[in-house]
Amino acid sequence: MTSTARPAVSRPRRPRASGGGGQAVRLLVLIAIVAVVLYPLFWMIGASVKSQEEIVSNIGLLPREFTPGNYVDGWTNFDLSFGRFFLNSAMVSLLTVVGNAISCLLAAYAFARLKFRLRGMWFAVMIGTLLLPGHVLIVPQYILFRTLGLVGGEWPYLPLLIPQFLATEAFFVFLMVQFMRGIPRELDEAAKIDGASAFGIFRHVILPLSRPALVTTAIFSFIWTWNDFFRQLVFLSSLEDYTVPVALTLFIDSTSQSAVGPMFAMSVLSLLPVFLFFLAFQRMLVEGINTSGIKG
Amino acid sequence: MHPATPPTAGAPAGRSHRTARRNLLRGLVALAVAAPLALGAAACGSDDASDAPNAPVKLSIFWWGGDARGKLTEDALALYSKKHPNVTFEKTWQANQGYFDKLATLTAGGNPPDIFQIDDNALAEYAARNTTLDLTGFKDSGKLDVSKFPKSLWQYGVVDGKLAGLAAGENTQGLVYNKTLLTSNGLPEPTSGMSWEEHIAWAEQVAKKAGVPGTMDPSADYKAFWVWLRQQGKDLYKGKEIGFTAEDVTRWFELWKGARDRGATPTPDVIHEGNATDITKQLVVTGKAGTSWVWVNQMPELKKNTKDELGVVAYPGDPSAQWARASMYWSAFKGTKYRDVAVDVLNFLVNDPEAAKILGTDRGLPSNLDLRRVVSDDITDPAMKQSIAVETELAQKFGESPQVPIKGHSKVRAELIKAAENAQYGRATPAEAAAQFLAACKSAIV
Amino acid sequence: MALTTAPDPTRRGTGSARAHAPRGVAGRIRNSEGLAGYVFLSPWLIGLMAVTAIPMLLSLYLSFTDYDILTPFSEVEWVGFANYERMFTADPSYWHAVRVTLTFALVAVPLKLAAALGVALLLNRAWRGVGLFRSLFYLPSLLGGSVALAIVWVNMFNRDGAFNSLLAVFGIEGKPWVNDPDWALETLMVLAIWQFGAPMVIFLAGLKQVPTELYEAASVDGANRWRQFRAVTLPMLSPVIFFNLVLETINGFQGFTAAFVLSNGTGGPVDSTLMYTLNLYIKGFTDLEMGYASAMAWVFLLAIGIITAILFSTGRFWVHYSDGEDR
Repeated sequence: MTSTARPAVSRPRRPRASGGGGQAVRLLVLIAIVAVVLYPLFWMIGASVKSQEEIVSNIGLLPREFTPGNYVDGWTNFDLSFGRFFLNSAMVSLLTVVGNAISCLLAAYAFARLKFRLRGMWFAVMIGTLLLPGHVLIVPQYILFRTLGLVGGEWPYLPLLIPQFLATEAFFVFLMVQFMRGIPRELDEAAKIDGASAFGIFRHVILPLSRPALVTTAIFSFIWTWNDFFRQLVFLSSLEDYTVPVALTLFIDSTSQSAVGPMFAMSVLSLLPVFLFFLAFQRMLVEGINTSGIKG
Repeated sequence: MHPATPPTAGAPAGRSHRTARRNLLRGLVALAVAAPLALGAAACGSDDASDAPNAPVKLSIFWWGGDARGKLTEDALALYSKKHPNVTFEKTWQANQGYFDKLATLTAGGNPPDIFQIDDNALAEYAARNTTLDLTGFKDSGKLDVSKFPKSLWQYGVVDGKLAGLAAGENTQGLVYNKTLLTSNGLPEPTSGMSWEEHIAWAEQVAKKAGVPGTMDPSADYKAFWVWLRQQGKDLYKGKEIGFTAEDVTRWFELWKGARDRGATPTPDVIHEGNATDITKQLVVTGKAGTSWVWVNQMPELKKNTKDELGVVAYPGDPSAQWARASMYWSAFKGTKYRDVAVDVLNFLVNDPEAAKILGTDRGLPSNLDLRRVVSDDITDPAMKQSIAVETELAQKFGESPQVPIKGHSKVRAELIKAAENAQYGRATPAEAAAQFLAACKSAIV
Repeated sequence: MALTTAPDPTRRGTGSARAHAPRGVAGRIRNSEGLAGYVFLSPWLIGLMAVTAIPMLLSLYLSFTDYDILTPFSEVEWVGFANYERMFTADPSYWHAVRVTLTFALVAVPLKLAAALGVALLLNRAWRGVGLFRSLFYLPSLLGGSVALAIVWVNMFNRDGAFNSLLAVFGIEGKPWVNDPDWALETLMVLAIWQFGAPMVIFLAGLKQVPTELYEAASVDGANRWRQFRAVTLPMLSPVIFFNLVLETINGFQGFTAAFVLSNGTGGPVDSTLMYTLNLYIKGFTDLEMGYASAMAWVFLLAIGIITAILFSTGRFWVHYSDGEDR
């Protein structure tokens, strides 16, 4: 903190600008932190090019004998190319992003801005759904989805996706509510007096100003779905439908198989799409929202 | 677990009230779940489907394993479909992580697979709840042929008088040691039939000369404890009870406390690492101990994780305490629509010569002794050859199979690890840890 | 439910809305708003009824039974409050898990939030390469709870791991952290804090929402960085701080993945990492006592519900909403 505070004092009038010595110091601090924070990941990348015996016995960062073949083995290990699992995961994750973004935004707008009977109660129920540990819900949910005929259909991803289009991820609803409540209400009031309907306000005031919340939701929806194991394991049943997290566990059957090298190689690869997704979307967090012209 | 929660004292007073509420709730629940269960039940009743000889049949089948097993099994099933074009399979396979969670969830949803792989840790749980098809009748009628199996092997699939699982392969306990470490230090190799005391003295010797503790401390390992118990004339379970006393456990823990004190085993934190069942964490391949306590058929996979030469012998003590253990079973779901076909597939997987050749020793040595000979002759992998040789030799000495572990076994296993580690970390004396374990066992298997 | 004590934004909101708009307009709007409210809420309501509520209520029902997953619903035995009694009177591992969880949450949650806020502030301003740094700091969180992570973490923190090598540089003798029952929980906390990416991103997004004119106005008034932070950043960020506090508290108490991954699903060594939800998972799926596990889940819901409600009720003293509803 001190390193950021110091240059600020000397340039109080230009709070967003930074540079010179201050930036160099900050950069050094950041690089040092990053190096420590990322060491485990470097280790993982190192492990992905180690031979099987080395992963087990050599705990150092670098391989003694460079084994890039893990990547080839991992990619071609199954009857299907590993790329198939990437495509499956990408599809599920992207559709989840769309579902969450739309449905949670609608619900959040209702909670944050509209007045209707029982709003407080529904809000409490929504928070309440965050609190029950998920493991006791898996079995009842499975039974329910099967009753509804969603399990084992032609397209096995329905049970994974339908809830996402129904705003069941209370996390995102609550997140968006908090963001929307940060948007000055005067904007709504002005629009109302101009005759805008609730939908009009949503469309012209809230939606444009909800970008940070939407971007955040998109990032998390994508990454969490990409990494989700248990639900995907329960609902997907054939190799060609498996997603990356499920496929990654196939390399290691703790009692009978230990293809750790290919597993590490594919784990490293599976970080790439999410990393790129994050890199792309975080850019949208760079520019602040332009609320100028709005006087409080 | 049935009345794991004993009914409340004073229950009678509130009974009628409770019954009323129960009925109400049952009604609500029924709304949500009756449909699939009813469908399932209806399906259970009709055996007709399999009567028509060439009607199309689709069987779901579920197993755990790596991709090697995945491929072999798919090939074997394809062969079955080739011979019986009306039968197709819906194949699901995954690694063992989460396997039983998913199997239980599918069962709860009323659509367990027609055929599934299971092991002795879970067989009794499923059999006791009537999830598995009783294969006894099929065995008696010859539709399921176990005549070429070692008797004790197929009998190890019997739970409460019902044949609940068909041994998909055989294995037994094996002590895998690092040959390279021993020879390079001029140390003798362990042998089958060494006493426990000799084994520990040998391990101490290894620690002194080679600088690596000679043996993993297996006091948390149920399969080592089990063999030891059988050598003491006890057993892990007797009927619905545990088959040992607190004194037995104390002696077992003390045996290994002695070994730790003598430096024959690694430190507790390393032992804890080795207590994980993963191949890659076994101390013999991580180089943190000279021997690991595993199953004989894990030897080839262990070999892949080290450059050193490995050897395998029986656990210490009288080898007749070991038995022909089913490494895993095939079971059929009791409510399957196609009982006859499902049983025929089971029979095919263990008794068909071509299938046996495809499946090899992936699930352990073939249960069918004739096929075992054929398959063994084809094996070229030296580590696999070695483990087959050891198992074949041990098979001469095998004793009777114990009963399949009872319901609650998974908890007993977990509690043994906890108690043994308490003793290892010095948080409890062997006697205290033993008492803790016994108390936990009692509440585990009620 | 404990949560009915959560603040009802409606109640206080209506007053201020009325004060701002002419009466007739307000009345018309309120009626149409009531309808619009439910229209916008409808996907969520359908999801609640169809996807969330039924399984939740089923699990509540099951918590009064001996449900073991494998037995069909039609045959489960109603056991009254026996599961709840067992939890409070006859299951020492339950209370052990409660202690482990409390320790974990009380230490890990504040530290994780502090790390997330600190780094977010460092990475808030636009400068070249900031995006890369943000992404790098988020990287650990991308790993989730994978098999690879488990192996990596154990290799960092066992006796001959990298962490001890680092300590050795400073002449400190290390411990077998992950494999030492006295330190395994701390290792778990480090893992949880290490994955601080999610709250960091939320903080960043929140910082982006602070209107830049406010800073300009403040600097014209001659406020220094610290004053700006106190007077502008903190209040404007407070809804997001509040969100992160609530969610990370819930996540901290639910902390399953790290414990599952690090202990191979056992909670070991000797139960030192037996978090509440891990204990619940073991009871439900390994021991097949899903009725008991459901009871544990509902007690958890109540307890966390109370904590959440307390957080909500403190919120009105320090959370600043630009929508004016809390003033």
